[in-house]
Amino acid sequence: MISGKMMRILVVALMEVRSYLRDKADLAFSILLPVAIFALMYGAFSGQDQFNGTLHLVNEDKEGIYSTRLITQLESISSLTIDYLSPSDADAKLEKSDLLMVVSIPPDFSSKIISGQTAELIFKQRGNGGQEGQVVASIVRGVAGNIDRELVIQNEVKNNLADTDISREQIQIAVASFIEQEQIAPSVSVIDEVVGEDLNPVTSFLPGIMTMFVLFAVSLTAQALVAERKKGTLERLLTTRLSVGQLFTGKFLANTSRGMVQMIILLALAQIVFRIFTPLTFLQSLVIALVFTAAVSTIGLIIGSIARTEDQASWIAVFFTMFMSIVGGTFFAIPQGSVLETISKVSLNTYANNAFRTIIMRSGTIRDISFELLVIAGVIVVGMILSRVLFQAVLKGK
Amino acid sequence: MTEPFLVVNDLHRSFNDYKAVNGVSFTINKGEIFGLLGPNGAGKTTTIRMLSTVLPPDRGDIVIGGYSVRNNTDSIRRLIGVCPQELALYADLSAFDNLMFFGRMEGLSSQEARAQAMSNLEFVGLTDRAKKGRVDKFSGGMKRRVNLAIALMGNPQLLFLDEPTVGIDPQSRNNIYETIEMLRDRGMTILYTTHYMEEADRLCNRIAIMDAGIIIALDTPYNLKSKLGPPEKVNLEDVFLNMTGRSLRD
Ligand SMILES: Nc1ncnc2c1ncn2[C@@H]1O[C@H](COP(=O)(O)OP(=O)(O)OP(=O)(O)O)[C@@H](O)[C@H]1O
Ligand SMILES: [Mg+2]
Repeated sequence: MISGKMMRILVVALMEVRSYLRDKADLAFSILLPVAIFALMYGAFSGQDQFNGTLHLVNEDKEGIYSTRLITQLESISSLTIDYLSPSDADAKLEKSDLLMVVSIPPDFSSKIISGQTAELIFKQRGNGGQEGQVVASIVRGVAGNIDRELVIQNEVKNNLADTDISREQIQIAVASFIEQEQIAPSVSVIDEVVGEDLNPVTSFLPGIMTMFVLFAVSLTAQALVAERKKGTLERLLTTRLSVGQLFTGKFLANTSRGMVQMIILLALAQIVFRIFTPLTFLQSLVIALVFTAAVSTIGLIIGSIARTEDQASWIAVFFTMFMSIVGGTFFAIPQGSVLETISKVSLNTYANNAFRTIIMRSGTIRDISFELLVIAGVIVVGMILSRVLFQAVLKGK
Repeated sequence: MTEPFLVVNDLHRSFNDYKAVNGVSFTINKGEIFGLLGPNGAGKTTTIRMLSTVLPPDRGDIVIGGYSVRNNTDSIRRLIGVCPQELALYADLSAFDNLMFFGRMEGLSSQEARAQAMSNLEFVGLTDRAKKGRVDKFSGGMKRRVNLAIALMGNPQLLFLDEPTVGIDPQSRNNIYETIEMLRDRGMTILYTTHYMEEADRLCNRIAIMDAGIIIALDTPYNLKSKLGPPEKVNLEDVFLNMTGRSLRD
């Protein structure tokens, strides 16, 4: 059974949530605005993904083993999509400039290779083939070159061993497996090294934008508290069995829930649009979001307790939000070792943003961000106590 | 009727350096209607705020139902109902929802709160407007009635009514006045402040006249008037004028 005390806390929280839902302007502000910012970010950053090209291919050597091999290898390249065309279609589209580059495998491609002749791949292009066409062509050249090298080695080895009693089939199998080995552990390999962090602008700015929007709620929380105090309903509530502690806990729960709804919408949108989370990093991000929104809601209660008027509350809150956001590295990365980095330590956003970035960009775990989580949790505890004490002090003086 | 339910002893409260309440003492007996009269700024509201546990006194003590505000505000809050001078309502809620919310805060279950909300709204004559519209769309008199109905939530044993009839049309005033009479007939203990002398005269068992933070007279309306002449011919207005040299409604 829920005790009377818990019940009162829940009823206060529910009342608060209902009042948020009634205020359509606030609702629009806290949800639609971040969505609009997202749309802008999407527009700005969505073009900067990895290369993705379409290979327009005419295959006239349908059954050939080498054409099949070439196509299998091309299909395994993830940044390449293959669009199969008939020869007449390809010519027509090139003619109309619908396409700038078409790669064609002639009917005798495989048979020429088998008979030891030079097989040809035909690159038909309009003008310079277009940028995408050029990149696609060079990818196809690379793949064809690999097959060519393999054939050269095969022939070389076969010629050298022609006098021995090793069968040509055995040689072929041995060479093929050697080449396969070579591909797995190449003599010269290319290592893709990401220097520092993932420089994707979406993942680096997303945390800052999310935390900033949740922080805007400080103003709403603070204003609502001042308004209730001025209206006299707060004082009236305190003549009932509701204690200041219960009142603040109820408001804290309501504000934290509102912040969480906001965060969940933002995180879900980020996932839908940018696909930056795995299920695990999504869950971990929710943990950060919960701790951060809880801290933010206590700060709103503190400001609401000390502000005399609603205007004052909203100005203090706006100043606080902007300061925390700017110093917390929302709009630019804070240079390491700088004075700014030292200052940034006073911003709650720094810890939340760092935690988010550790999870999203560096695939960290909760363990890696335990320091940040502890700092923010500390703010919750201090905030809960401080807001109550300040509120009571102000109340007693009035 | 002589068992004291509320005892106020040497109450003081200043704001900055201004002594709003400067040594007030009185008792209210169970079932009594006690009138606190005084001009603007006399300290009536400040006194009521201290009695209702929201404003701590600088000095002095208040005991209600045997509990002191010094160490037992929780117990006192279960006994009292407060109808503040300034309307304290949730403007965007219906009358019913306002009563429900305060009822829940008084510790009522949702069923109890619903039943009390309906009966209290009926009591103040607002049954037909209970769930119709937000209270900020109500007339001044209707808002006053909601304000009073909220104070009745949780069945308090002692009511503080701070000018419940101020600034409204005669019809609503009458309605509230009748409501208070009904409460009196039920045996409710009430501390009542008003500017309307004839109301106080008709309703109150005893009256304290307060001025500049102190009580300058405390007696039954009859005795207060007797000091000036035959009580049938004197009214409380004259008493007040005689004592302070000022009219009550200045
Ligand atoms: N919170 C406060 N801060 C500063 N001064 C206050 C405060 N509350 C009351 N006062 C001052 O204390 C004095 C008594 O005020 P109070 O409201 O108790 O008077 P009142 O008898 O209720 O008057 P009214 O009939 O106008 O309601 C007034 O001079 C008022 O200005
Ligand atoms: Mg007053």
